[in-house]
This record gives sequence, structure tokens and C-alpha cells, in this order.
Amino acid sequence: MKVRETLSKEHLDFLREMMNIGAGNAATALGQMLRCEVNVAIPKVHLLSAVKLPPKTFGDPSLPVFCVRMAMIGDAFGHLFFIVPDAQKERLTHLVEQAAPGSTLIWNGDLQSAELDLSVLTEVGNILVGVYLTAIHDFCKLNIYHTAPTLAIDMIQSLLDESLATLSHKVQTAVLIENMIYVGAEGITTFLLMIPSVESVNTLADSIAQTRLAYSKE
Amino acid sequence: MVSAPYTISSVGLGSCVAVALYDTQRRIGGLAHIMLPGSASLNGSQSSCRYADPAITALVKALCRRGGVRKDIVAKMVGGARMFPDYGNSNQGIGEQCIESIKGILKREHIPVIGQDTGGRHGRNVEFYLDTGRVVVSAIGKEDKEI
Repeated sequence: MKVRETLSKEHLDFLREMMNIGAGNAATALGQMLRCEVNVAIPKVHLLSAVKLPPKTFGDPSLPVFCVRMAMIGDAFGHLFFIVPDAQKERLTHLVEQAAPGSTLIWNGDLQSAELDLSVLTEVGNILVGVYLTAIHDFCKLNIYHTAPTLAIDMIQSLLDESLATLSHKVQTAVLIENMIYVGAEGITTFLLMIPSVESVNTLADSIAQTRLAYSKE
Repeated sequence: MVSAPYTISSVGLGSCVAVALYDTQRRIGGLAHIMLPGSASLNGSQSSCRYADPAITALVKALCRRGGVRKDIVAKMVGGARMFPDYGNSNQGIGEQCIESIKGILKREHIPVIGQDTGGRHGRNVEFYLDTGRVVVSAIGKEDKEI
């Protein structure tokens, strides 16, 4: 089997289109959950080589990030990470307070005391992953599911460690989706990192190619 | 691999394990960042030093080339955490497998483990001071620990 090391620019453009659709649905779903108006800006989609993980976008690798991890299963395999960098913690606190009045977010790496409040954020990650995978399904007819989310607050490098060790036997492509979520006038930047297995990059690329061909004939 | 008075550091260890080897008499040492247990597969991976066996073997050889003496080499190990709860079906996470594998290799090489800070559910930063051989471990929300 020919192994692609990365996706082409055409694949990336199509992926961006799918993620745009997903972002629209994410705004609706998040608004219902948080009981307020939520807007999601057009997401920025980047392709990264696994050897460049974690990306510099997350800042100092020794600073804590909030991270939800899920495994991808079905027609594609790999890991998914919903990440909120340290620089966003104040905005994140406001978001939690708005969504769950009276609660406070404790951001000191101590998961035991923060667990209750963080469940809101885990759900945000869950929703974002769900809408993007649904968008991929709707366009590419790929059935990709995710496992139950698990969360941790720690250094980004240490959180990605295990996935990079077990998945990156060969050169890998990771997809980084940068989401700007607005609750009222305030925006918060979150990231979705998708690390597909080598075989799954092929599956995704082939499905995108077939879908593009089908659309071009219409 | 360096000698005193330098310091080697590694940031953001999760399931990975940092193994510090130190020649106590000559004050030279090195740090191996190990991602996977055992050996690389036979088809020859370019990054075979991500595996415990080739990484430790290479570091011991490098120490001896720089004048280190096997009987004076001691080891300290840090990392091997399980960062996310209930991952996968295996009872043993990749970090725990690494620790077990490394201990076996060090035993085979007759290198005593004189300090370790392993396991748990948190990331770690490591600083390895070549002047004394001390290893300082830091983690978010925890006191620095010297091993």
C-alpha cells in the first residue's frame, strides 16, 4: 500500500470546507448547551508533521493546558485532542461562570478539585469533535466515531507523549483546527488536534478525492 | 552526553521515561528520552533510540567512549506517567511498560537504579546536574523533588 506522508493542498481545501460546515453546527449546539448566544468563527485548518508536535501555537510547552482526549474509531483510527492553552484561562473562567453560575474554575493542575467545573469544558470538546466528525461523514461518507472523552490539565508535551509514542512509527500528518468561539463579545481560542494513523490518512485522502470527483460531475 | 559542570534538561515528560546515567567518579553522564519499551522492530526504524533497549545500550557505549567505567555508572529514572485515565483496554499503560522494560535492561547491564520518580498521572520536567549527579524533578502544582 502506498503511504501518503501528508495530504495535498486540494485535500486541505476540501477539509477546510468541511470544517466550515462543522463550525456552523458547533455554534448552534454550543449555544443550546451554554444557554447563551455562541458564535464560532471560520476555523483555521493547518496540516502539521507529527515530528513538529506540539506546535508552537500552544506557547511554552511547560505551561499547563486543558486537554480532552478521545480515540477515533470506525473507518479511521487515531487520537483527537481538544486543547485550550494557558493564555486563555481567564476567558475560560468567564465562560464556565456564565454557563454554570456560581461555579469557579480552578486552574492549578489539580484535577481533583476542578473536576466538577471542568465537566462543562469536556462537553464543549465533545460537541466540537462530534460536529466535525459529522461533517466528514456527511461529505465523505466515512463513519468515524469517537470514544468517551477523558480530560487532564498538564504540560502539552506530556499530554501528547503517549499518542506520539504509539502512533508515530512513520511520518505522520496531524490536522490542527483552530476555533475561535465567541460567547457574547468575548472570544476564546481553542484547538482540535487530530492525529490519524498512517492508514487513516490514506482513507481520508481517497474519500476526499472521490467526493471531489462526484461534486465536479454534478 | 556531557560532563560537569553542565546540566541536561528534558521538558514535558508524560508516558515517556528519562533515564539519567552517571559515572560517579568521572562526573560524566547522559540522559536518554525513551518513548517505547523493548527494541525497535527488525525492519530497522530510523528512530530506534525511542526504544528502551537501543537507547540505553547507545548511552552506555557513549559514556564508555568518553572515559566512563561501567562499574561506576548509576541510573536514575523519571516519568512513565499515565496522563489520561482508563486509556485503552490494556491494564498496563505504555509508561508502565517502559519502566518495567528499562528496569530489566539496567539489571542486565548491571547498572543500579539509585533514584526514581515514576508513574502517577502528571507530567514532569527534569534537570540533571552533572557536577553532583543530582536530578531535580518539577511538576505543575507540586514541589520540586530531588532524587
